[in-house]
Amino acid sequence: MKWKKVIGSLLFVVGVLAVWQLLYVAATDWLGWAKPYAVPHLKGVLLSIKTLVVNGTLFAAVAKSMLRVLIGFCISLIIGVFFGIVIINSDYMARNLKPLLMGIQTLPSICWVPFAILWFGLQESAIIFVVVMGSVFSVSLAVESGIKGVPPLYIKAAKTMGVSKVKMYTKVIFPAALPSFVAGLKQTWSFAWRALMSGEVMSASVGLGYTLMIGRDLADINQVMTVMLVIVLIGIIIDKGIFTNIENYILRKRGL
Amino acid sequence: MFLKLNSISKVFDQTKKETLQGISLDVEEGEFVCIVGPSGCGKSTLLNLVAGLDTPTEGEILLEGKKVTGPGADRVVMFQESALYPWLNVMENVMFGLDAAGYAKAEQKQIAEKYLRMVQLWHYRDYPIHQISGGMKQRTALARALALDSKLLLMDEPFSALDKQTINILRAELEEIWEKTKKTILYVTHSVEEAIYFADRVVVLAENPGQIKEIISVDLPRPRDIEDAAFTVLRKRILDQVSQSARKSAAEEFDSQEVEQA
Repeated sequence: MKWKKVIGSLLFVVGVLAVWQLLYVAATDWLGWAKPYAVPHLKGVLLSIKTLVVNGTLFAAVAKSMLRVLIGFCISLIIGVFFGIVIINSDYMARNLKPLLMGIQTLPSICWVPFAILWFGLQESAIIFVVVMGSVFSVSLAVESGIKGVPPLYIKAAKTMGVSKVKMYTKVIFPAALPSFVAGLKQTWSFAWRALMSGEVMSASVGLGYTLMIGRDLADINQVMTVMLVIVLIGIIIDKGIFTNIENYILRKRGL
Repeated sequence: MFLKLNSISKVFDQTKKETLQGISLDVEEGEFVCIVGPSGCGKSTLLNLVAGLDTPTEGEILLEGKKVTGPGADRVVMFQESALYPWLNVMENVMFGLDAAGYAKAEQKQIAEKYLRMVQLWHYRDYPIHQISGGMKQRTALARALALDSKLLLMDEPFSALDKQTINILRAELEEIWEKTKKTILYVTHSVEEAIYFADRVVVLAENPGQIKEIISVDLPRPRDIEDAAFTVLRKRILDQVSQSARKSAAEEFDSQEVEQA
């Protein structure tokens, strides 16, 4: 059963690659709609991967990008949890601040690039600023919806057992909100990952976004495509490999 | 007096309806008092007030002479749904309240063991909550409540979501535990049978607004047999009281609807 699924997935990937190659050949050779240098093709991308791996660019870029997104994600987590708790504890803030945070969260992170350059210069901190601004409020919203979903009975029961306000959070509310919070963090991750690319395209000297821009500057569409594939791949790996596993573990442990 | 309810009234802000009116009740230490009444008569509201989860609009509640102003571990509540925490196992759930009360880990374990053995769940101490039956969940909740050794135990229809057989077993167990621990218990139920089975005194509530209709002392020998003739007679008498007031309020509701239509 498991093998069947794996083989099925592999066939799907092969199918996508085949369609891609077919479209390339159709568009360039058969119909002549596009110039060959404007459309990436399988062989070119494979060559590009080889070059980038051999000269070490790809590994360095991935490592640097992952480090940046990790730092940005952690900062978002801390600030975001703070704002989330502010919203949940005050009706006034829930009415007024929450819509503002939701609005800011829908802002494309590229909008923060001018601020980042003005305030931080072409530095690491500028990129991390963009990552944080692009993801921080999705953490707040995840905290808010997670805590809102805690069954009131859990809190009532704890109150009658004389639980203090601090322990109410650490022992009841946070653990109860955890599954929904982790689901929310999955979104935060994807926001952070996208924002990182906006940041790196503007100012990085090493990184996936930078490698992508080099590809553009050299008119090497295959390199651009390669970087895009790597970005997608890492997105999937972190989402499925880390967040979905944590989520499933928590749910399984609770019999959900 | 151990627990004193001084002409309690409760009006909820949203409905403006008087849910409870002039409830006065004295409970002695070690007494088992059951509150019965038709659904919607405010029995659970009354229990919430004693628990301190809600405040009365008028009147006051005194526990050993001290006014109840909020929830506290001296008045632990056992709810209809077990209210156990699914991220903790059976043992950890029982230790939960002890941790809040500031016991050291070793003590917590010791006390939890004592009460888990009392409710016959020691064998299941490492089980996650979702893997035990409804009856076992309520036993865990009972152990958790008992572990805090509160002066007053409040129970809000703790067995009403269980099947008949499980209820019978748990009733006998609770009665035995009560005899052993000599706790004061305020027990809300819609089941007259259950009230007579447990209670030293049965408080019958009438609805609209919820008020005390009658307080009946039950002095049948324990453990009580629900098939017993005296038990049956008493049950019929209380059932009549309860259904009378339920019928009356249903009729009132019907009349008022007719008026509205006319």
